[in-house]
Amino acid sequence: MSEGVSGEETKGAASPIKPNHAELVKDGKNSLTLQCERCGCVVLRPGSAKFVQKELFLPHMKKKAEGTDPNGETLSDCWLVDDMYTFDNVGFTKNVGTSKYLICADCEIGPIGWHDVNIKNEFYVALDRVKHV
Amino acid sequence: MNESEVLTTLKILIIGESGVGKSSLLLRFTDDTFDPEQAATIGVDFKVKTLSVDGNKAKLAIWDTAGQERFRTLTPSYYRGAQGVILVYDVANKQTFQRLDNWLSELETFATKHDLIKMVVGNKIDKEGREISREEGLKFARKHRTLFIEASAKTKEGVQCAFEELVEKIIQTPGLWEADQQSGLSLGKGITDAQQSCYCVL
Repeated sequence: MSEGVSGEETKGAASPIKPNHAELVKDGKNSLTLQCERCGCVVLRPGSAKFVQKELFLPHMKKKAEGTDPNGETLSDCWLVDDMYTFDNVGFTKNVGTSKYLICADCEIGPIGWHDVNIKNEFYVALDRVKHV
Repeated sequence: MNESEVLTTLKILIIGESGVGKSSLLLRFTDDTFDPEQAATIGVDFKVKTLSVDGNKAKLAIWDTAGQERFRTLTPSYYRGAQGVILVYDVANKQTFQRLDNWLSELETFATKHDLIKMVVGNKIDKEGREISREEGLKFARKHRTLFIEASAKTKEGVQCAFEELVEKIIQTPGLWEADQQSGLSLGKGITDAQQSCYCVL
């Protein structure tokens, strides 16, 4: 995973936006197309998701080096979508508790994001889990 | 046409016996990286996919039965509002073909849109030991007025085609779907083609 120059994670809701993320936001929305990091499948078109900061704890997509939390990591820079049909392509896992993880619709890598089944109109994609093209 | 213009959103179900390759069909839709070792620990519930057919863009919510078929009867909510159904059998497993009748009657019972479009898919044609010939599959499809295709998720054969045919047929059926944006409408030539059997020859 690429780290920003000063992009160390800080805990708490007020964590500053990562420098390499700021340039991806235009008028509060995604300026670029979101694609799967692995297969390039289009997840969201430009201007279709809102930038928000919300702490998401997601299991790792890739195997991590020793010394890091083996269960996952907390990410806070997210794209928020209020209707699942806004996505060009996305997959949803079966429920884990009240959560569904978002995955690539084609190659099924993930989680790239998160959805709470009790909150019908909130779908989050972590900026660090997709590529912006 | 503007890239973001979407004609309609459609609910598509994939049903059939366990092990016929329903989930693989779901995966293979637009993908070229089929992974036989696919170890989905949690399992996929459903997918949203964007598909272009005859210049129309449709968004599909594709639901896999996700193992519920083991309980024989799927919940009625699974069927509710579906505009298209893909019934899958394994060409190398006769029993999965024979069970299609049961799936059709269940569909009859629970589907809320009675003119929904059905497609029968004979899957795993790459496998040795075929038990159901293409002709038998075709005959069944004709009898029940469904679309028909043979496919292999492993070799990608037929999979994309199956979804495209199904969506095309749904779009050609007035009253089955609602336009999200009227401006996006551009129906192709096939709209007057009333015959249900458009077979995809590969």
